[in-house]
Amino acid sequence: MKYLALLIALVVAADASASAKGAYELYQKDKSKDRDKKIAHELIEGSYYFSAIPYINTYLETNNEIDKELEADIETLVIKTGTMAVLNLEEKRLESFNIPSISLILGTRLFNKDQNVKAYEILSRIPDSHQFSTEASLIKGTIRNLERKNIEALNLYEQCSKKAGNLESSSKGEKLKRYYNYLKETCIIRSARVKIEEKKYEEALVIYEQIDKRSYKWPYILMDQAWANYYLKDYNRALGLTVTYKSPLLESYFFPEAEVLMALSYYNLCLWDDSLKVVDHFYEVYQPKAQALKDILGKNKSSHTYFLDLYYADTKTREDLNPFIRNLITQTRKQVKFNLDLASLKAAKDELLLLKRLKNKNDFTETLEGNLDSTISFISAKINFYIKKEIFTFINEIHKHSFSMFNLKLELLSKKRDDIYNAKALAESTRARGSDVNVNRKTSQYFFDFNGSFWADELGDYSFGLQTACRENKVAKK
Amino acid sequence: MKIIIFSLISLMLSFSALAQEEKKNVIYKYKEYEVIDLGSLEIKGQIMAPGDLTVNERERQSFKRSLLEKNNFDFENRREIENLR
Repeated sequence: MKYLALLIALVVAADASASAKGAYELYQKDKSKDRDKKIAHELIEGSYYFSAIPYINTYLETNNEIDKELEADIETLVIKTGTMAVLNLEEKRLESFNIPSISLILGTRLFNKDQNVKAYEILSRIPDSHQFSTEASLIKGTIRNLERKNIEALNLYEQCSKKAGNLESSSKGEKLKRYYNYLKETCIIRSARVKIEEKKYEEALVIYEQIDKRSYKWPYILMDQAWANYYLKDYNRALGLTVTYKSPLLESYFFPEAEVLMALSYYNLCLWDDSLKVVDHFYEVYQPKAQALKDILGKNKSSHTYFLDLYYADTKTREDLNPFIRNLITQTRKQVKFNLDLASLKAAKDELLLLKRLKNKNDFTETLEGNLDSTISFISAKINFYIKKEIFTFINEIHKHSFSMFNLKLELLSKKRDDIYNAKALAESTRARGSDVNVNRKTSQYFFDFNGSFWADELGDYSFGLQTACRENKVAKK
Repeated sequence: MKIIIFSLISLMLSFSALAQEEKKNVIYKYKEYEVIDLGSLEIKGQIMAPGDLTVNERERQSFKRSLLEKNNFDFENRREIENLR
């Protein structure tokens, strides 16, 4: 087995070397206008994907024609290097090319720049039969969703989940299967979210049941489900879902919004003291940590490597710096983009090593090495920026929800004052903590009472059994 | 000239001496006591206000603060796309 692996490695290395030689010959002898395209093709053939990027970019800067071979090469580059394939080309220039890989990159870029109309138009160029049409449907669905064109959005999300499901079954590689599964589940979740936006909460909850508990996406849907239950006035289940984030298994998933929803659920059960406790806990836990993170950001804002180094640092270093950093990094590692960029960085470094090992060094290989060095620095800075942005977004989230909590606290204090005026506070202090009688349950739902300990198979199915302390509800129940 | 100045100064001095004498002579006298018989007082007029004390009842002002609502998932959806590629 070892010999076979060695043999394969030798064959690959020999092939790569041959392609590098072919590219060098073209570099020396070919003076035609297609020279860059041919060099790129040779490099791609030899698996020098990152080295091929500058040649593809240079060719596309001055040429408008894309033949079948070039189209296939660009597609390979998009799959192997992500959006880096046409990084140096401006949107205006990219617009003139009508091939699926470029349309996907341009459409994504425009969407991220809030140019939704143009992005939709560009993404529509991708034929339905193409593998990139799954992502195109997802982004187009998001655009329609943002425009509140829900019927169209639902159709696009449905198309996306179907296509992703088919591609998942037909793909052979494990990573590719996992990626299409991720896309499929994202589109399913999107359909459920549209239902919540349409206030069809029951329908949304049924859709969420399609997501497996072992899925990457599952921890994120707990929040959505909690909101759906909250609007169905099933505050006990909303509490059960939000408390799931406190389980050790979901330690790295922290959503400030979950704390607000928990406090709101207690508030709607008229349990002012419980709600106040959650509010106070939020200020005690999140605010100092947000400040500490802000300080770390402030000190290292101009560094291009600090946060990437932090990713590579051992757990103790991260923990000592700030316990949230460890959790944030863990959460960031679960993002597709981060993983793709990290894989690109590793692939680019490997490619550079391969180039350095070539026996025949010349000005061409030196140029390739120089280009690759710049590419590696660029990807490193990109990942560093990504982690920095994640931390920044988290701090912003805390600030945003601090405002919600502040408003809620004022409401709670006002309610408590009213209760004191109405001599209700004393009566409430003797209330029972909870009972199964107060648990709402559908046939498709499990129910586990939460006794302060978490069990992996029970996660996501907890429900509190608290009795409402609201006067009107009690009267109505009697 | 000297005579005029001298006569003016002497006139001023005589006036100030007179004023001091007048101040000393002022005596203020107050009534030692005064009895007012409220019963015999008679006020003529019409009663315009209601006889008993009243307070206008109004509902207590309550300020509705905006609590967090989840009307859409735009933030999450956008972030998902940003995190895709």
